[in-house]
Amino acid sequence: MTDDERVEMELEEARVIGDGDDRMIVAEAVEKWFGGFQALKGITTTVRRGEVVVILGPSGSGKSTFIRTINRLERHDAGRIVVDGIELTDDIRNIERVRSEIGIVFQSFNLFPHMSVLHNVTLAPRNVRRRPKKQAEEKAMQLLERVGIPEQADKYPAQLSGGQQQRVAIARALAMEPKIMLFDEPTSALDPEMIKEVLDVMRELARSGMTMIVVSHEIGFAKEVGDRVLFFDDGFLVEENTPERFFSRPETDRGRLFLSQIL
Amino acid sequence: MATVDEQRLQMIAAEERRAVEVAPQARPATPREWLKENLFSTWRNGLVTVITALFVGWALYQILRWILVTGDFQVVKANLASYMLARFPREEVWRVWTSLYLVLALAGLSWGYSERHIAWTRRRMVEATVLVLGGILVLAYLLDTVLIWMLIAGAVAALFVPMAAGRLLAHRYRRPLRRVVIAGWILIYPAILAILLLFDGPSSRTWGGVLLNVMAGSVAIVASFPIGILLALGRRSSFPAIRTFCVGVIELIRGVPLITLLISGVFILPLLLPPQLQMPTVMRVIVMLTVFSAVYVAEIVRGGLQGVHHGQYEAARALGLSTTRMTALVILPQALRNTIPALISHFISLWKDTSLLAIVAGLTDLLAAARRSAAGLEFIGDSKEALLGAAFIFWAVAFTASRWSQRLERRVGVGER
Repeated sequence: MTDDERVEMELEEARVIGDGDDRMIVAEAVEKWFGGFQALKGITTTVRRGEVVVILGPSGSGKSTFIRTINRLERHDAGRIVVDGIELTDDIRNIERVRSEIGIVFQSFNLFPHMSVLHNVTLAPRNVRRRPKKQAEEKAMQLLERVGIPEQADKYPAQLSGGQQQRVAIARALAMEPKIMLFDEPTSALDPEMIKEVLDVMRELARSGMTMIVVSHEIGFAKEVGDRVLFFDDGFLVEENTPERFFSRPETDRGRLFLSQIL
Repeated sequence: MATVDEQRLQMIAAEERRAVEVAPQARPATPREWLKENLFSTWRNGLVTVITALFVGWALYQILRWILVTGDFQVVKANLASYMLARFPREEVWRVWTSLYLVLALAGLSWGYSERHIAWTRRRMVEATVLVLGGILVLAYLLDTVLIWMLIAGAVAALFVPMAAGRLLAHRYRRPLRRVVIAGWILIYPAILAILLLFDGPSSRTWGGVLLNVMAGSVAIVASFPIGILLALGRRSSFPAIRTFCVGVIELIRGVPLITLLISGVFILPLLLPPQLQMPTVMRVIVMLTVFSAVYVAEIVRGGLQGVHHGQYEAARALGLSTTRMTALVILPQALRNTIPALISHFISLWKDTSLLAIVAGLTDLLAAARRSAAGLEFIGDSKEALLGAAFIFWAVAFTASRWSQRLERRVGVGER
């Protein structure tokens, strides 16, 4: 990036903030049904640019469903979701635009097993952003370096450890230069000794100013880099608090009970 | 005393430790031990082994005695040309040889390109030796003119020279070579059809024998593959009209025996098609084989699609890939890889089903040619030998395909779980 471009970007940012609108994600009364089961019961919240939000809650509380509605892997049944000024409707063009601005990292990695690591990372930039092969590969190598595994570029996912696979998945999502990163329990499927290497990458990402929503029970991570904690239970957003206050003295009984069970 | 005992104990312990360390590289069993362990471990196992050995020995003896002593394969030898070509005019045979050379050359080039080093394991060497010696023996019995030997030698050269060339070129010109190979396989059918039919070539109704089976079978296989994939995708489409259409086609065709389809292709298709679209019997039969094969391919591919984890769809969509790109780049490659064994198995069975062309009036496929050969006065009573000859040819092609598919499976298995 040249200096001119950087100045240009900062001006652009200043303009947006100057308008008073640094809201990246706005959810209003979002509801989601699976048949007769209501998974989300009127979720309202706002995520600002550069914010790191950690979502906690027991299994089945709707936390994964909520972040999956943000990039339309699940369609919400009522309420509004606006991502960076674009409202998610049934219009497929809006959905594809929003998706290319949001990266998501799954619990089970979901790397493409028939492609090399490098190919996994370059697939979307080349086919969605139409980047030339060479440029996409250079960018991919930078990202693999950033997540600490450039030497694995030519291997296949099955040849990597879980932690390495998850770091490739992060690089793959970053390759699209997203404005928002969603993490759906990124460390839950990992052996304990691999959790740290993934959290380190996420920590670095948070410090670089990325807007992030993380569904995770990693309390250390939430305390250290989280700006806000959302506590979900039974489809409701029960408590919204800063990490320090939530982990030391939660405001709700339900939150207190949950903490006593996981700590 | 005690100290001596202690020393001995320590020595034994050290010995044991060493033995444990060495254990993973156990020495190979002697043939005698292997036999005892695998075939005669208990008295029951021994009994089963003896009975099986007696039965297999007896059956082998009977079969070999018939093939080598009692059987008279003159009928195959005398009619070999009919087996291969039936009514195809002999003065036009150069068209067939040219096509064959072309296919072999392309196959050789692809082989050289894709497998630059052959790992000569012991098993492969034994197998190759058996195949080459067996092939030479069979051919030596069947062929007696110098011309045909020269043509066969030419065919061997047509396979191996491009293979060597491909192997050399693949080191430096991998990408251009890849393009040549892909373009070659796309153009090979038009090229063969042109060689066989254009410039006053004999009409397709003269195709017969192995030529007919190979043309019908391979065109049906190649054409049914993409059609089957489209049907499988259509069956999972989110548009109800497309879905209903594909389900209808699949269930309708799959419920009808191939022989019925072939007969309706011969008698009913001409009534349905407008005069401009009328085509020779051979082509109608190929259309029917293709349609028949396509619905089976569709069901096999559908199975493969269901085996792809839903997380793959989500990851692809989340990256912003359109449905078409997601299907072509992420889903289908995985689905097809999982279905290779089933697809090859289906294609082998379709190859054998081309023998049903024998019942279509006016066509003489390999099976029909074999039966006709034994009908002549001079070979009366030799129909067993005549049919065995045909069966051997069907088997040889199927066996080659099956071995090739095993290699393909191993090759594309890279990076799998």
